[in-house]
Amino acid sequence: MKKILYIIILVFAYACEDVIDLDLPTSEPKLVIDASIDWLKGTPGNEQQIKLSLTAPFFDLEVPPANDATVIITDNNANSFEFIEDGDTGIYLNNTFIPEINGEYTLTVIYDGETYVATETLKSVSEITRVEQNLEGGFTGDETEIKAFFNDPADEENYYFFEFTPTLPVTSTLDTFNDEFVNGNEIFGFYVEEDLDPGQSVTIQIHGVSEQFYEFMFILLQQIEDGGGGPFETQPATVRGNCINQTNPDNFPLGYFRLSEVDELIYTVQ
Amino acid sequence: MTSLFRVILLFFFISPLSILAQEKYTLSGVISDASSNETLIGVNILFPDQQTGTITNEYGFYSITLPEGTYKLLISYLGFQNVVETIELNSDITKNFSLNEATEALDEIVITEDVEKLNIRKPQMSVNALSANTIKQIPVVLGEVDVIKAITLLPGVTTAGEGASGFNVRGGSADQNLILLDEAIIYNSSHLFGFFSVFNPDAIKDLRLYKGGIPARYGGRVSSVLDIYQKEGNSNEFHANGGIGAVSSRLLVEGPIKKEKGSFLLGGRASYAHLFLPLFDIDNIAYFYDLNTKLSYRLNQNNNIYLSGYFGRDVFSINDSFENTYGNTVLNFRWNHLFSDKLFSNLSLIYSDYYYGLNLEFVEFNWNSGIRNFNLKYDFKHYLNDKVKLQYGLNSIYHKFNPGEIEPSTSTSGINPQKLIDKYALENALYFDIEHQLTDNLTASYGLRYSNFLRLGQDELNRYENDQAVIFNDQLQIYEKAEPIGKEEFKRSDVIESFNNLEPRLALAYQLNNKSSVKASYNRMTQYLHLLSNTNSPTPLDVWTPSGKYAKPQILDQYAIGYFRNFSNNTYSLELESFFKTVKNRIDYIDGADLIANDAIEQVILNGRARAYGLEVLLRKNEGRFTGWLAYTLSKSEQQTEGRTANETGINNGEWYNTPFDKTHDISFTGSYELTKKWSFNANFLFQTGQPVTYPNGQYEYNGIRIPSYTNRNEFRLPTYHRLDLSASYTPRPDKLKGFRGEWVFGIYNVYNRRNAASISFSQNRDTSRNEATRLAIFGVVPSVSYNFKF
Repeated sequence: MKKILYIIILVFAYACEDVIDLDLPTSEPKLVIDASIDWLKGTPGNEQQIKLSLTAPFFDLEVPPANDATVIITDNNANSFEFIEDGDTGIYLNNTFIPEINGEYTLTVIYDGETYVATETLKSVSEITRVEQNLEGGFTGDETEIKAFFNDPADEENYYFFEFTPTLPVTSTLDTFNDEFVNGNEIFGFYVEEDLDPGQSVTIQIHGVSEQFYEFMFILLQQIEDGGGGPFETQPATVRGNCINQTNPDNFPLGYFRLSEVDELIYTVQ
Repeated sequence: MTSLFRVILLFFFISPLSILAQEKYTLSGVISDASSNETLIGVNILFPDQQTGTITNEYGFYSITLPEGTYKLLISYLGFQNVVETIELNSDITKNFSLNEATEALDEIVITEDVEKLNIRKPQMSVNALSANTIKQIPVVLGEVDVIKAITLLPGVTTAGEGASGFNVRGGSADQNLILLDEAIIYNSSHLFGFFSVFNPDAIKDLRLYKGGIPARYGGRVSSVLDIYQKEGNSNEFHANGGIGAVSSRLLVEGPIKKEKGSFLLGGRASYAHLFLPLFDIDNIAYFYDLNTKLSYRLNQNNNIYLSGYFGRDVFSINDSFENTYGNTVLNFRWNHLFSDKLFSNLSLIYSDYYYGLNLEFVEFNWNSGIRNFNLKYDFKHYLNDKVKLQYGLNSIYHKFNPGEIEPSTSTSGINPQKLIDKYALENALYFDIEHQLTDNLTASYGLRYSNFLRLGQDELNRYENDQAVIFNDQLQIYEKAEPIGKEEFKRSDVIESFNNLEPRLALAYQLNNKSSVKASYNRMTQYLHLLSNTNSPTPLDVWTPSGKYAKPQILDQYAIGYFRNFSNNTYSLELESFFKTVKNRIDYIDGADLIANDAIEQVILNGRARAYGLEVLLRKNEGRFTGWLAYTLSKSEQQTEGRTANETGINNGEWYNTPFDKTHDISFTGSYELTKKWSFNANFLFQTGQPVTYPNGQYEYNGIRIPSYTNRNEFRLPTYHRLDLSASYTPRPDKLKGFRGEWVFGIYNVYNRRNAASISFSQNRDTSRNEATRLAIFGVVPSVSYNFKF
């Protein structure tokens, strides 16, 4: 809804936008935990990675990696998976991970003398059954619309997270979805890209996620789309994920520990 | 309850009794415009030798009771010729007056000392009246005359930025304004998301904005009252007027149904479809229209009836994939009855609704939401004697809220139809208000409003453990929705929750000399309806929700003091006011609350509070070739939502934060200069502290995207806002008083093309992956031409 309103406002007004220089304050660096465990359907899911980084001044090009951390995931079957940093990239790798639908996992990160923990459940997901395209879609009528269909299970509440990565030099499009108004139906993830022409392709990923992650990502995406400010924008605030700093609770980390079953489909535009 | 009745009865009987000793008679009647027979509001009826007088009410009626004798009477009204008459008052007299328009308005009008003195003496403060003529002189964007834009030039009135809906009075939010059109509540005052307002300026007779010291006859909102009266229509002869502008065209016709007895008025306004959008290469429609109608009929000397209506809609449609319609509907029947020459009454039966509809073809569903109410008002004005005027009445409103309904728009749609549960409420009130001249120098106005709100039974209501619909996650330090533990079922006649409030109102005026006075006021007001909106300014799809178990009624206490002075032979007037107000139970939203299509609003709201204080200066020049005003406001408006227990953080860490419409300094100037009879020039200048905003203090990377991390709420400000607008109007044949008359208006909005930031947004550029701060400026320099006519 918000997104639609935003588009109306932009289209409607005599508005003109320009990029400006602005002095912004900078906070003390915080740890950012990007722990997304994706189990692609049909793969063993043993190879996983976790990315640790720090916050940076808003206009900086790079964000610094968080090096030399201890990163361990444990499951309910007393398995422990240690993630080892790849050089000094801030990317921590493991190839013995055992994914299990509805398994509960705990992440522990020790960084700079402080211990961070998070607990989450691995959620299953439906398959993408078919894709529809429309080359004359979107608000301008000349954008490419992609609908990725799947069947929502009827007897449970489901939460979804989509990732659309086109073969274009642009960032991925992320989206969240819940089945409140569509429970048990054939529904679709919706993606619009202006410059996606026939012959180019898009990688569509659908992730099963928890309600808590859905809420987290919903706020995050809302804030990114709105970009803050403006009469029809919600108040921006720092979005807190599911990771807790046990040593010093006030120095809370950013990011999220998520585990998902994933279905992927690479679609070439006709 | 009973004590309230006793108080009313007391004033009913005691006051008249105390004055029975002398022989007194009543002079009463109606004052109207001679050319149209349109009744006039706020006309001064003065007895200069006795230093007393009265004014006409909203229906043009006046009544004054004086000892037997011979009186010199002066009737004076801005824009009309004075009437001076000698009255032999030896019995009760009914006398109607017709005033002639001052033909050479600027040279002839002499506002006598007595007129202004009366205003100085009246205890009502914090009120601004604007005539339709003043509003029409103010230069505006694209030449569209606009009521809301005009009132934002007054001290204490701001908006949450260019293109924001509604207006903010003394640091209150837009949904705290009671907007009345012919006594009917208007829920959304904006067309095209706030760029224009819903009021057709041609149909308006009189407008009053109460910012404080609000009389007891008004209730239901805590911030202000905007009371607008439509014209009745000319009962002498047929007339039409209209205009052709850059945005819209309008036409208003009026005339007699039965000469001097009945009249009709029909006004329509429509903007051009494809208004702004040809600029973009998209197949779009965006337009608005509204329709004002009124029938008035004078049954006899003591009875008048009125039937009035308003219907307005905004329509957007983009590429057949999206269609959006919304607007207000109002239907109103009123009956004026004179019980005696001292007791005036008005009975109103009002229906009003607000509809919002959305059709999203590309995701295959329709959506609608809205609010409707039936409103019964019975108001009495009792002119006891020349010292005491009593008003009392009752009001009952039945509300029905439709929070939303979703249905699939195609047979293949994946959407399941769903109706969010309708809510019902009954809002009742009883009030009395007394205007009492205590001594020669001291006048008081005091009143009490008893309000009662019954939240009626709805189909289902969630129950929560410990009645906590929002829970606090101690570990993550965030608020979360609670899971309902069950549902309660009700009958429509059940009362789920009831609230009772006494709202005292008090205003005092002490006249220092015949040029100046000091005034003070206090008022308490209660608001039982909340507009659910967690954006900086309301959007058309926001829904209203009634108070109940989780959303408590908002309660305001406002104190104001002021100094009022006329000088330079009353050419200038100065108003100086200071106010302080607090609002209890101002609702706030947990982070990320999604308010649309939410069937369990209680899970995302917390009760907070708000406060505002400030100083307002208004210097006006009332007569001469140059007229206009300079307004300055220094103010602060804040909000706070603390944790409910010591463990909870509250919102924004429980600290006070600036509201989006907090403007520390706000200067507005508007002026009009009549160079010749043909040419007049108008100018506005605005200078305001930038709007409070939240800036990022860093960024981080998550899931491959860059995300800004934010400071506390509204700690920073947009750059200072300033703007100059100019307009010129040209009347080719100013001496022509009959037949077809035309007028050209040339305007330039934002003359020096300042790119005032409406917002600054922070995001990652999708192509370069770099973070950027993007400024959105809505209007650059905008020239306009419009043509107005009447015949």
